[in-house]
Amino acid sequence: MQDMGVRVLFEGANGVRLLKGLWTALRISLLSMAFSFVLGTLLGCAMTLKNPVVKAAAKIYLEFIRIMPQLVLLFLAYFGMTKAFGIQLSGYASALIVFTMWGTAEMGDLVRGVLISIPKHQYLSGLALGLSPWRVYLHIIFPQSARRLIPLAINLSTRMIKTTSLVVLIGVVEVLKVGQQIIEANRYAAPSGALWVYGAVFLLYFIACYPISSLARLLENKWKG
Amino acid sequence: MKNSINHKIHHQIKKMFWMTAAAFTLALSACSSSASQDAVTARTLADIQSSGKVVIGVFSDKAPFGYVDASGNYQGYDVYFADRIGKDLGAAVEYVSLEPANRVEYLETAKVDIVLANFTVTEERAEAVDFASPYMKVALGVVSPDSALITDVSQLSGKTLIVAKGTTAETYFTENHPEVNLLKFDQYTETFNALLDGRGDAFSTDNTEVLAWALQNPGFTVGVPSLGGLDTIAPAVRKGNTELLNWLNEEIIALGTEEFFHQDYDETLLPVYGDAVNPDDLVVEGGIVE
Amino acid sequence: MLEIQTLRKSFDGQIVLNNISFSVQKGEVVVLVGPSGCGKSTLLRCVNGLERIDSGAIALEGRVLTCDKTKWPLIRQKIGMVFQSYDLFPHMNVMENILLGPMKAQKRSRKETEADAERLLTRVGLLDKKSAFPRQLSGGQKQRVAIARALIMKPAIMLFDEVTAALDPEMVREVLDVMLELAEEGMTMLIVTHEMQFAKAAADRIIFIDKGEIVESGAPEDFFTNPRTDRAKRFLNMFSFENRKKKGLGVK
Repeated sequence: MQDMGVRVLFEGANGVRLLKGLWTALRISLLSMAFSFVLGTLLGCAMTLKNPVVKAAAKIYLEFIRIMPQLVLLFLAYFGMTKAFGIQLSGYASALIVFTMWGTAEMGDLVRGVLISIPKHQYLSGLALGLSPWRVYLHIIFPQSARRLIPLAINLSTRMIKTTSLVVLIGVVEVLKVGQQIIEANRYAAPSGALWVYGAVFLLYFIACYPISSLARLLENKWKG
Repeated sequence: MKNSINHKIHHQIKKMFWMTAAAFTLALSACSSSASQDAVTARTLADIQSSGKVVIGVFSDKAPFGYVDASGNYQGYDVYFADRIGKDLGAAVEYVSLEPANRVEYLETAKVDIVLANFTVTEERAEAVDFASPYMKVALGVVSPDSALITDVSQLSGKTLIVAKGTTAETYFTENHPEVNLLKFDQYTETFNALLDGRGDAFSTDNTEVLAWALQNPGFTVGVPSLGGLDTIAPAVRKGNTELLNWLNEEIIALGTEEFFHQDYDETLLPVYGDAVNPDDLVVEGGIVE
Repeated sequence: MLEIQTLRKSFDGQIVLNNISFSVQKGEVVVLVGPSGCGKSTLLRCVNGLERIDSGAIALEGRVLTCDKTKWPLIRQKIGMVFQSYDLFPHMNVMENILLGPMKAQKRSRKETEADAERLLTRVGLLDKKSAFPRQLSGGQKQRVAIARALIMKPAIMLFDEVTAALDPEMVREVLDVMLELAEEGMTMLIVTHEMQFAKAAADRIIFIDKGEIVESGAPEDFFTNPRTDRAKRFLNMFSFENRKKKGLGVK
C-alpha cells in the first residue's frame, strides 16, 4: 500500500506543482517580509518617539492588526475592498498587502522593543564623542539593535511562511493547497498518498525555512566575534 | 452535498468574518456615504462573450466533482459541465479555485462570473446569489455492515446510528426519527472509524459519500441509498445578473435533450461509483427534478 | 577655558542645580565632590549639552555654548567625557571604538588616526588589546579604553563622571593612575569622584556641592584639612573611621 502512496508524488506534474506552490508561498512571505522590515523599522523608530500623537497612532495600528485574525484581514482586502469601493485587487496583491501590514506591525513592535533595550548610556556616549544623533543611530544603536533583532525577525519570517497557507481562501493556490488537491484527486485510487503528500509538504517547508534559520545562526556566530 | 462537517467550521469562519466585516463596512460606508451598494457590477453575458473569457469558480480538491489532476488540469463532474458552458458561450474558461466558505463572496464581488462548485441550493444562499436550474441532486444514505445490513430506516429503531455533528443527517434524524440513538462525532474521519470499530450499527451522511466509502471497504454496503428531502445542486451567478442566469437555464434545458449530464456522469463519476449507484439517483437533466 | 555663570537646572519643576558659577583655567584640574544626588553628575552633563540648562550660561574658550541643537556635535568634539558605566560600544573591538569618533565625527583619515590610537593605547597600557572586544576586558581596562577614546578627539577639556564608582577596588588604581598622569601633563579636567585620596592628589581646586549649590571651594589642602562650612565637615567625616575597639565599644 505504502509504495502506491509514494507514487502519487511523482505522478504527472505533481512534483512540479508542489514546488510551484512552495514558490508562491515563499514569494508572498519573503516579499512581505522585505517590505515589513523596512516599514516595521520606521514604525518601531516612530514608536520610540516622545510625540504622543505618533505614539497613539502607532499603538492603535498595532492593536488593530494584532486583534484581527489574518484571515479576516485577507477577506477585508480581497472582498471587502471590492464591496466597499469597487476596488478589485488580485488575491496575490491582497495577500502581499495584508502580510506586509501584519509584518510591519509585528516588526515595528520588535524594533521598538530592541531599541529601548539598548542602554541609554550607549546613546549618550555616542553623543559625547561629538557624533550627530543620526550618526549615533547609524553606527551605534542600529548595529546593536540588528544583532538582537535578527533572531526575532527570523522567527517572524518562518511564522509568516507558515501563515501563508491562509491565502487559499482568497484564491491563491500555495503548497499546502496543492498538497490537498493531490490527496483529494487520489482519494479513491491511492488513499495512502495523503501521508506521503503531507510528508512532502512538511519537507518542503523545512527546506524553505532551514536556510533562513542557518543564515541567522551564521550571523549570530559571526557577530559574537 | 457539502452539508458535511466542514460546514460547521466554515460557518464559524464566516461568522467571524461577517462580524468584523460588518463593523468595518459600516464605518467605511459612513465615510463614503452611498458608495457601497453599487461599488461593483457583474459582467453581463455580452461582456463575457466579447471578452472571449468566462471566469468560473470550482472546487479544486473535491474529487470527483471538482479537482485538479496530475497534469494540473481541472477535472470532475462540475468541471465537465463548465467546459461545455465555455464552449457554448464561445469563451475560454478561466478556473478559479474556491473554498466552501468563500463561494458567496466570490459572486458578490463579481470576481467570478459563475460558481459551479457543488453549490447546494438553500433559502439562505438564494438571498445572496441567483441559482439557475439544478444539474444534480443529493439525498442521505445509510451504510452498514453486510452482516447486519440496514435496508430500511425502520430497522434502525432502538439502534445506534453514527452521524457527524452539523450535518444534514444529524438534523434529519433528530427531527424525523427520535427513536434512533445517535452517536455524534466532530470529525468526519472519526465517523468512518467508529463504524469500522463497531461502535455503531450504521452510519449516515450524504449518499455520494457513503456510496464511495462502501466501495473502498468490503463488507459494508449502502442499504439505504436515498433518504430524506432531496437537495439540489445548481450553478449560481451574482444576484441580478439575469441575462447570464437565463442563458444558463436555457443551456441546461438544451443539454437535457442530449442527455448531457448522463455523459458527464459516465465520464467523471462512473469510474468512482461503478455499479453501486444508479445515475438517475444523482443526475438531473433539463433542470427538472422528478 | 571653561566658565559657568549662574547656571540653573530643574527636572519636572524640582531644582537640582541653582546659581552655579565657577571657572576652570587652562591646565587646571577641578574636582567636584559632594553627597550622592547633589547634582554633580547633572552639572557635567550640562557642560557638554546632554542636559539642557534652564538659565545661566556656559562658555568654552570664550565662546558661549548655545541651545542650538545642531551646534552641539561640534562643541562636544572639544569636550571629552568618560562615564561611570562602562560605555564602550559592545559590537566594536577596542580599535574600532577609538576610531569611531575621529573618523565619523571629525572625518579624519584612518591611517593618521590609527597611529594616534596606538599611541594612546600604549599610554593606557592596552596596545595588546586593540583587537579585543569590550566583553573580553575587565572593568578597569574598559575605562582606560574609554579614556583613550575620549582623548583621541584632542579635547580642550576632559570630563570624568565617577569613572571608578562601578569598578572592583583592585581596578580603581589603574584608572586613577592614568588620570593622574593626564593631570601632570597639563590636561584641563573637571572630575566628579568619591575617591577623596585621589582628589587630594590630583586636584588644583576642590568644589563642594550640596543640594544643588556650591557650598565651598578652595585648594585641596585647605578643604580636606580645614573645611570652612559645617556641611563640608559632615561630608568629610563620612570618609573617616575611628577605631572603636580602642574606645572599648567593640567586641570584647
